Amino acid sequence: MKMTLYVAKNSIVHKSDPITKLTYCLVAAIVPYIIPNHLFAFVIMLLSISLLLLGKVFRKMIPIYILSLFLLITIVIIQGIFHPDNVTPLFMLGPITFYQEGLLIASLLIIRIINMLSAFGVVILTTQPDDLIEALVKKGMSPRIGYVIGSVLQIIPQMSSMVGTIMDAQRSRGLETEGKLSTRIKAFIPLIGPVIMNSLIATRERSIALEIRGFNSKRKKTFLRDEKEFLFGKPYQLLLILCFIGAIIWRIFQ
Amino acid sequence: MNKQKSMWSLRLSTAALVLIPVAIGINYIGKTIASALKLPLWIDSLGTILASMLAGPIVGGLAGIINNIIYGFTQDPISTVYAITSLFIGIVVGALSYTGWLKSFGKACILGLIVGLVAAIVSTPLNIIFWGGQTGNVWGDALLAVMLKEGYPVWLASFFDSVVVDIPDKFVSVLICYFIFKGLPNNVKNLYRGGQKIEEL
Repeated sequence: MKMTLYVAKNSIVHKSDPITKLTYCLVAAIVPYIIPNHLFAFVIMLLSISLLLLGKVFRKMIPIYILSLFLLITIVIIQGIFHPDNVTPLFMLGPITFYQEGLLIASLLIIRIINMLSAFGVVILTTQPDDLIEALVKKGMSPRIGYVIGSVLQIIPQMSSMVGTIMDAQRSRGLETEGKLSTRIKAFIPLIGPVIMNSLIATRERSIALEIRGFNSKRKKTFLRDEKEFLFGKPYQLLLILCFIGAIIWRIFQ
Repeated sequence: MNKQKSMWSLRLSTAALVLIPVAIGINYIGKTIASALKLPLWIDSLGTILASMLAGPIVGGLAGIINNIIYGFTQDPISTVYAITSLFIGIVVGALSYTGWLKSFGKACILGLIVGLVAAIVSTPLNIIFWGGQTGNVWGDALLAVMLKEGYPVWLASFFDSVVVDIPDKFVSVLICYFIFKGLPNNVKNLYRGGQKIEEL
């Protein structure tokens, strides 16, 4: 189980400042919700997708789109058939009528979602989580929170392998994990219980280990790794934030 | 040093802080085991709920919000949207279990219903803004479709969509956590509650 979908490639997007990418991701994901316009949302979506293409990671993005496919299909069905504003029938599919108003709303929602997924994809696929966490800590995020996020990425693979071990152990003792719903429900606690107990008890040791190593020290923290050089730093972040403020102002005076 | 630390204190002990990644891990394996056993619920917030019971609303809320942000930026961007829901789940469970709602099984059942209701209330506006009302759960969305067809307003239909999904899920999750919490040895429980001198590491 790998906790990151990061793909190592040599591209201009990979070499860009993680904070700039994060800012882009948030601004690009939110702005189409502030400005409710099909064309505008579509342009932002194309921009996000072209960043993925520029980063040579678009192919890796497809599983993330597929994960949301069900949501996208239900949007078309629910809005297209059932939206309260529906009056103009557009086409029939067997006995079911799809309406123009609902489909128009559905298309805006879908463009926004694909845009949001793609904008997140820019960060997910082209940024190493460690780089992002380190950049955020340098920006002033608490190193304690930085530690929490970093250790999540380590702890989840460890705990998943623990689940595998415990599942095998319990099955070999005769625990049934297949069959009727009631049998499967009964299996839940014996499977998750030991994992939870083990990991809670391990927190005691981990916190002692951390405190011994000066985790709570008030001194200024230093960084183990040398600072990496990234493209598109501060000015671009500022520009993105200005775009965001601009969108809000546009909306207020609309 | 006899003064009890408020449950809203932002000064977290190391043990409480270390609990957050474990909580996020428990969320993940709860979800994995539930889907491996093909259970009809998500059960993806066990860790958040358990951390809130053990260490209070601040740690619970932090665990919730960090959980969804990490999944958003590593696996599934959609989950970021529900960071606010997780935050509220953590705060509500933490605040109520610190004020005696874990004393009896009956109270824990009510706590489960409250958490489900809070999750549904917080999720509804998010569902409407981001996806026009769906939750992505087949049964809930079918109810949404029927209610819209009957002429109910979107917010009400979407709220019931969330209720159908969230209340059973959070009810079961809170009860599972209640039993685990009751079964934990006291020295583990006391580890995360800052306050009495002896518990400070």
